[in-house]
Amino acid sequence: MMRRALGWVVSSVLLLPFPVLILLSLARRWPWPAVFPRDLQTQQWQVLLTDSSSLGAIILRSLGMGIGVAVTATALGFACSRSLARHRHRDRLTVFLYLPFAVSPVVLGVSLLYTFLRLHLAGHFLGVMLAQMIIAYAYAVLLLSAFWNQRIEALVELASSLGATPWQLWRRALVPMARPLLAVCLFQTFLISWFDYALALVIGSAQVSTVTTALYQYFSSGDLRLAATCSLLLILPPLLGLALNRRLLSATIATRLEDIDG
Amino acid sequence: MADPIAAALKVEHLHVRFAERAVFEDISFELAAHSTLAIIGASGCGKTTLLRSIAGLITANRGRVMLDKQTIDQLPVHQRGVVYLNQEPLLFPHLTLFDNVAFGLRLRCLSPAVIRERTGKLLARLGLDGLRERYPHALSGGERQRAAFGRALAVDPKLLLLDEPFTNLDPDTRTGMQSLFKEVSREQAITSLFVTHDLKECLRIGDRFAILSNGTLALYEDKQTFSEDPRSGVSTEMQFWRELIDKNSGK
Repeated sequence: MMRRALGWVVSSVLLLPFPVLILLSLARRWPWPAVFPRDLQTQQWQVLLTDSSSLGAIILRSLGMGIGVAVTATALGFACSRSLARHRHRDRLTVFLYLPFAVSPVVLGVSLLYTFLRLHLAGHFLGVMLAQMIIAYAYAVLLLSAFWNQRIEALVELASSLGATPWQLWRRALVPMARPLLAVCLFQTFLISWFDYALALVIGSAQVSTVTTALYQYFSSGDLRLAATCSLLLILPPLLGLALNRRLLSATIATRLEDIDG
Repeated sequence: MADPIAAALKVEHLHVRFAERAVFEDISFELAAHSTLAIIGASGCGKTTLLRSIAGLITANRGRVMLDKQTIDQLPVHQRGVVYLNQEPLLFPHLTLFDNVAFGLRLRCLSPAVIRERTGKLLARLGLDGLRERYPHALSGGERQRAAFGRALAVDPKLLLLDEPFTNLDPDTRTGMQSLFKEVSREQAITSLFVTHDLKECLRIGDRFAILSNGTLALYEDKQTFSEDPRSGVSTEMQFWRELIDKNSGK
């Protein structure tokens, strides 16, 4: 009984912002101290989804950036995590991978800005993507290094002795075996890019708008209803991704990784 | 010595050392085609290292390995035609039993019909036909080992290296696997090196025998000469059983 009540409380606290955001995005007026808005309308959605706000283009840009960062960081991270796992100074190298998380993203952005300005990457889509890649790549290597163990190495040797070329080894053995973990990594690195604000602000130098910078603009302009609508658009792709990933995150990982671990 | 013309495997002056420790020095032997050399030795004597250096999974410091009159030392693992079977029955967890056995055939880009036919025949021979859609986690240890054996046979290897493959099986399954290995390797004319630390398994499996001890390999052409050498442990084993029988009959 107690556990059930606690579950309800935790769920309510976690889910409370979502109904509030939905109501706020549909409210015409919501004066204090009314519990619910007086009138509902879809004007905020119309404003955001029409060309006048250019939010459609911003969403597409953020999606492209997120997918680009996720695919590149996961692919590079997977290959590098194997080298890291086999390296004799593995522990020391792992410390370096934690560095991007040890400093605030704003500090990281500022420290990168000078170099990026000289390389003409500041204020460009590619520059923001590269900056986000630093965090996403480090994260991918750390996450995927958990995949490599003695059993996997034994399977690699076995596949080679059965005639697998290095390319076939990756395509037919390693990538399929790591698929659940790769799916998680793709999703998480996408989120790193999608929810990034500081790097987009600093490296983007007001030239590259993403959904998070747009959201902050609506928020700072004082229009909470537009900000709420934008927030819902911000959390929509991750929710869809999470729903798509749900099966991989539960059943597949449980059975296959258990088998890989022996 | 085996007839050099018929020798499928020829190992010359093989030398492997890890850091400052020599695992073995100057190991040379020949193995006739379609025969099994059973190598026995205590744990840590270098049996696995010997197999892994022949397979190319570790690089020997010196020496030469020839297979079908071709030097294979410089060839990458996947081009040697040597399949190494681990002590653990390693199956790919993302593949069904059928796909595991067909793994090597798919690497060779054979047509689906050929893959189906060859794999089907092997599964039937190994008594695994009814389990073809099962994933490894749903198989017993014996079934996994049979599948791993079938996968090795499917690619028709020039040389099969078996590293204590039946060690982790229960006694009945183990005996069954030994008989199956013996039958199938005769049917398919397999050339193999079989490493074990079990004397009975060694005697049951081998056509020729070898003892690896203190970095040297002593070779025996037949069961008789192997059994007569006190180092094989056969006489000690027989004495134990003789004493036990005498004791029981005395009661």
